[in-house]
Amino acid sequence: MRMLAMVLGAAIAVAAAADQKALRAAQSDAASWLMYGRNYSGWRYSESAQINASNVARLSPQWMFQTGINGKFETTPLVEGGLMYITGPTNHAYALDLATGRQMWHYYKPVPAGVNACCGQVNRGFAMLGERLYKVNLEATLVALDPKTGNTIWESKIDDFKKGYSATVAPLVAKNLVVVGIAGAEMGTRDFLDAFDADTGKKVWRFWTVPAPGEPGGETWGGDSWKRGGGSTWITGTYDPDLNLIYWGTGNPGPDMDGSVRPGDNLYTDSLLALDADTGKLKWHYQFTPHDVHDWDSTSDPVLLDVEHQGRKVKAVVMANRNGFYYVLDRATGKLLTAKPYTKVTWADAIGANGRPILIPGQDPTETGNKSCPGIGGGHNWQATTYSPQTALYYFTSTDGCQLYFKTHQEYVEGNWYQGSTTQGIPTEPSTGSVVAVRPATGEIAWKYPLVSSPTSGLLSTAGGLVFGGDREGYVFALDARSGKVLWKFQTGGVVIAPPVTYEFRGKQYVAVAAGETMITFALP
Amino acid sequence: MRTTIFLLLAATALAQKNPHAGDKDAIEAGRGTFRIFCAPCHGINADGGRGPDLTLGQYSVGNDDAAVFRVISNGAQGTEMPGFGERLEADIIWRLVSYVRSVSNKPAPVMKGDRAAGEKLFWGKGACGGCHRIGQRGGRMGPDLSHVGRQRSLAFLKEAVVTPNAYLTPGNYAITVTLRGGKKVTGVQRGYDGFSAQFLDASDTFHSYFTSDVVSIERRFESLMPDNYGKVLRPPELDDLLVYMVSLGRSTGGRTGE
Repeated sequence: MRMLAMVLGAAIAVAAAADQKALRAAQSDAASWLMYGRNYSGWRYSESAQINASNVARLSPQWMFQTGINGKFETTPLVEGGLMYITGPTNHAYALDLATGRQMWHYYKPVPAGVNACCGQVNRGFAMLGERLYKVNLEATLVALDPKTGNTIWESKIDDFKKGYSATVAPLVAKNLVVVGIAGAEMGTRDFLDAFDADTGKKVWRFWTVPAPGEPGGETWGGDSWKRGGGSTWITGTYDPDLNLIYWGTGNPGPDMDGSVRPGDNLYTDSLLALDADTGKLKWHYQFTPHDVHDWDSTSDPVLLDVEHQGRKVKAVVMANRNGFYYVLDRATGKLLTAKPYTKVTWADAIGANGRPILIPGQDPTETGNKSCPGIGGGHNWQATTYSPQTALYYFTSTDGCQLYFKTHQEYVEGNWYQGSTTQGIPTEPSTGSVVAVRPATGEIAWKYPLVSSPTSGLLSTAGGLVFGGDREGYVFALDARSGKVLWKFQTGGVVIAPPVTYEFRGKQYVAVAAGETMITFALP
Repeated sequence: MRTTIFLLLAATALAQKNPHAGDKDAIEAGRGTFRIFCAPCHGINADGGRGPDLTLGQYSVGNDDAAVFRVISNGAQGTEMPGFGERLEADIIWRLVSYVRSVSNKPAPVMKGDRAAGEKLFWGKGACGGCHRIGQRGGRMGPDLSHVGRQRSLAFLKEAVVTPNAYLTPGNYAITVTLRGGKKVTGVQRGYDGFSAQFLDASDTFHSYFTSDVVSIERRFESLMPDNYGKVLRPPELDDLLVYMVSLGRSTGGRTGE
């Protein structure tokens, strides 16, 4: 009888696979992890409290799955129907049995020669809708896979990798669309956000993050510099089904450090975009760093939450930007509500009431190197962030330090590096890092947990009063969500680049995270 | 089949001649690429850092353009130099070769000083060997200097001897642990994380401590090397020492005298 109930239970779970309704209700599904940011608001918060501050010290490994694939392992696992779906570097992906960690299938497609990815042949995870999994391949394609077999249902070209495009992002499913971003701003590409029909793989819309001359924003690019303008979209956005808006951050203008060849504000680079989900039309934009020359992509998680602002409740979107400021915007209008630095910033005094930074002169890259803070990686970079409604705190990682920025004129050659030079660390002032907890409405810092080096891993918060994270030195750790105190740690033996996730399986809560080349799950004994 | 071989031979022949040799625009383009990929090790001006000084035009891998091209493409076996052939197109690499050539005509600096006297100073008065190793001799707490003459320029070495903190090798930080009971242990970092520290002390002994087991673990972004060599050594002695150091790891044995 019990057996039958279990079988039925499993069958029901499969029948109710992550359809559009399930995705909208993802937050309350403790057994699953259905999308990159756990819910459409990007909270990465779980209501599971079985593992909590009083017992987390006893957390121990349950199983490990070794991919044997060299490269940075950045996946956000999806968990559904008793399986875990993960993507690895260089176009590998797997389905694992939640009970044992054993592989159920392996997907692999060799990366063609000539793909030029700036920052490793990485992949950040699957999206799912109904009986389909979606992932990008590095050569700028989108594939739909059968979750039972890993077989390809369709594969659609996003764009031509020979132009310098590559794809690393976890797709976002909104309604019946699969939305994907692109990378390539270090190769002088002109970037975009694409939406594909989830059933057929046909492209439904494209939004160019760099407008052409004559289009709104086209006047913010001198000459023909827009053709190589960058504005990548390599981190998954969020979605507000009520407003029917997709929120997506954009990356740096190209070439990164040489601003002289692209006079103007360079819209819509380093911006947050609010796009109509059905049409991809721009509802509003907010540019964090006009005419950026420090490679401060604004691709980090745009997290949707409600804040008190001047006595009224506002539907907001928040972002810990790579430029060192934390921002709160009205997500219906894009109007700036608050901006506050969370790390050392030397390039701007503040963000003015008009939303533009009040610049401090002498911060631009030079031929011989010029010090500015934060360094090229930020501030907060792409690592997943988390919002806990339980503590009403927003958590993200930060690199704290400065770098020397060099500007060098570079000729553009299609498909090749076009960065306009480089940065160097300052040997006697190595950057350190921190996990930062802020009050989301004001950006006021509640606490900081220091990291000895620049952070690598994303974060997860739970109703157990915990924040999980990892570091470059190989530790996975749990912090007290209210105080930032370490309550548990485990040395994995490999750099933790991926964000942890949590789920319940057969009545037990698990925490899972990729470290080195290995997927590890933890539970209480 | 025959055609293939012929084509391969043709490609090899082509690959040996730099199509952009001496071209001003190519040099400038190569400089841009150099700063992104090569400067992190070879220095922003190609005069060395973690990797060898390229401005001297003496490469252990061979001195012609084809050899330089090959090393950039495939890396240099037995060194930290990786290959860039999969990331950079051949044409871009040739421009890099043009740039490296354009800065590699610097004459080797004429050094006063006596190598044998420098070697004596290294192991004697200078006591450098207490912390630095050359071949199978010397201490292990400081960086191994067996090949330092190939890795670093004369100017870099002079600065490093006189002002050790001018350029600190990343990771070579000083760690001092205060034990319960007050005893202090100091050494050079081998491992350091949020929960523990590992280091080697001046007697080549490894230490490992958890933060939770000691009073404090202090890490300083500075070198443990004495910073008074500019005073301890007279200028001619400094020259002797530098001549010896520049000779380390060089097949020529270094050029000394006038």
